[in-house]
Amino acid sequence: MIDQLGNGLLLGIIISVASVALSLLYSVTRIVNFAHGEIIALGAILTLFFSNPVDSRVIYLDRFSPLGMDFFISAALAVILCGVFGGLLELCLFRPLRKAEVGNIAILVVTIGLSIFIRHLYLIFATGRVQNFPLELERRVTYLFFDMTPRNFRVLIAGLVVMVLIGLFLTFTRIGKAMRAVRDSGELASISGINSDNIILFTWISSSMLAGLAGIFQAIINDVRYNMGFLILLLIFAGTVLGGIGTSFGAMVGGLLIGIFVQVSVAFPFMEGHTEAKNAVALAIMIVILLFRPQGIFGQKERIS
Amino acid sequence: MKISSKWITTILLTFLSIALVFVLNPDGQLRILANLLTFAGIYALAAIGLNVHFGLTGLLNFGHASFMGVGAYVTLLLIPHAAGREGEINENGLPFLAALAIGIVAAALFGLLLGLPAMRLRGDYLAIVTIAAAEIFRLLIRDLESITGGVYGIINFSDALQKYRPVFFDEAVARLDLAPAQIWVGLLSWLTVFIVLLLLKRLSASPWGRALRAVREDEDAVRALGKNAVWLKLQSFMLGAGIAGIAGVFLAFNYGSVQTTIFVPLLTFYVWAIMILGGVGSLTGPIFGSIIFWAIISETDKIASLIFENADGQQLAGVRFMLVGLLIMMLMIFRPSGLLGKKEELLLNVK
Repeated sequence: MIDQLGNGLLLGIIISVASVALSLLYSVTRIVNFAHGEIIALGAILTLFFSNPVDSRVIYLDRFSPLGMDFFISAALAVILCGVFGGLLELCLFRPLRKAEVGNIAILVVTIGLSIFIRHLYLIFATGRVQNFPLELERRVTYLFFDMTPRNFRVLIAGLVVMVLIGLFLTFTRIGKAMRAVRDSGELASISGINSDNIILFTWISSSMLAGLAGIFQAIINDVRYNMGFLILLLIFAGTVLGGIGTSFGAMVGGLLIGIFVQVSVAFPFMEGHTEAKNAVALAIMIVILLFRPQGIFGQKERIS
Repeated sequence: MKISSKWITTILLTFLSIALVFVLNPDGQLRILANLLTFAGIYALAAIGLNVHFGLTGLLNFGHASFMGVGAYVTLLLIPHAAGREGEINENGLPFLAALAIGIVAAALFGLLLGLPAMRLRGDYLAIVTIAAAEIFRLLIRDLESITGGVYGIINFSDALQKYRPVFFDEAVARLDLAPAQIWVGLLSWLTVFIVLLLLKRLSASPWGRALRAVREDEDAVRALGKNAVWLKLQSFMLGAGIAGIAGVFLAFNYGSVQTTIFVPLLTFYVWAIMILGGVGSLTGPIFGSIIFWAIISETDKIASLIFENADGQQLAGVRFMLVGLLIMMLMIFRPSGLLGKKEELLLNVK
């Protein structure tokens, strides 16, 4: 069981970062964003495109050839572009919908359509097959009591640092406080002079940047696929729900717990020979949480029925 | 019935989309048309079930694929079939109709099982719970290989339905140079569509149907009038799930085999696209929505090959799904009531 802990922490950190992003967006805009997974995949696909050696044919159509840039610059650029993409989504799609007072169930269905559309755009134009970042193979090293490669260990540390930064940002900066104000009540926030449109735009951008980062983490640890975001989307929902929908701190912990639980559950006696079904356990946990403690571990009570 | 412009547009669009098939295919049009109409009938049935959930009662169900899956798997496992990696043959089984009845009941009971807890949740949470439950169902089916055949699926069950095919039917179909087995499945599914629609028409005009619509509009008012709103929602969930179960069975017979890969979330989204296109809350909407949808889907290959030179199968599938996603988005933004729906009957906000 302890062998799986390292894998669990890695999966947990991916889900955790992505859950914080989803939760941030939900708390400010009340949008359940099914296209979140596609922004995750965008981070990975862009990084792959920027960093792959020029002569390798990674990109599906011959028209595009990769740029062969430094890996860290590629990743940073990809995260920024994910932010731009999120901002554009808000400006071109979700802000007009909000102004037209489209109901949030309609918006939920729109995000589902958007998710299917973008995902298959990737399938056609980007990665039809499973690919890896151009990084060297590394041997696993033992840290404390779990094994992982040094690179994955750095991903884990980076993820934790990002979480701490988000926490500090939301608690202490002006814009972080404004985001929490809009979350608590959009109308009250605008009365006290906060431009809620700008805050929502900022939320889309930061949520998408975080999602892109989670995608890069996922691709470093595993690989790049066109549907990589959709594959873990339900686990991200599970992490968000477990921690408490709309609470950033809760999403961090919930995401980590779900990741650890999914991987560690492989070692349970009753799961022997059923490792393929490990995600089912996490999803079942989510349903049980929603039924008996809908506010999650850290959430405040809210009417959800 | 008053013929409104909505109806004229709908019928015109349906004919146009069928005409598209004849224009884009120089030969074999009849075969293509038969294929797409078979799929259209099956998916129309599924969309009718979803419409009971969302259109009639306002329940945001994103786990429709699992209801179809339960119906299909239970029915197929009860009739003679072969399953699993070795294709283990099971020659004993119930007659088709008995198995189908049990399959429908099983799908409805699965609806009850899912509905009991889920009814306590608000719309967007219900969406997440149903899609998660559908994935759990799919993962379990894949995992229980000894019973369900796992990833290898179930095969050799078609005969249970095809043996009822009359001889004169075969002769008539053979004269048109079509595949009798598929036409038989298509015919039966359209027949079921009409029977189900007649039943639903009666039901939705009955006090029960009015109470369901009242639940959609204002649940508290229904409670205040002494109706059991939760039980009404559960009944609607079971009814829609049962209808989806029949659709799942026909889908399986149309493919000739089932694997877990059929009942993925994308299947649910297909059905959603058809329901929205036809018109949320409209009884007959899914029929037209389904025909138009499948006409477009079956011709995407042609459209895609106009855009890409020598596109491969993966890209063609990609274009098809892209269109589905775009269709869902555009309809929801610009015409959420679809072809035949009523705007004022549409539930678009979380209550």
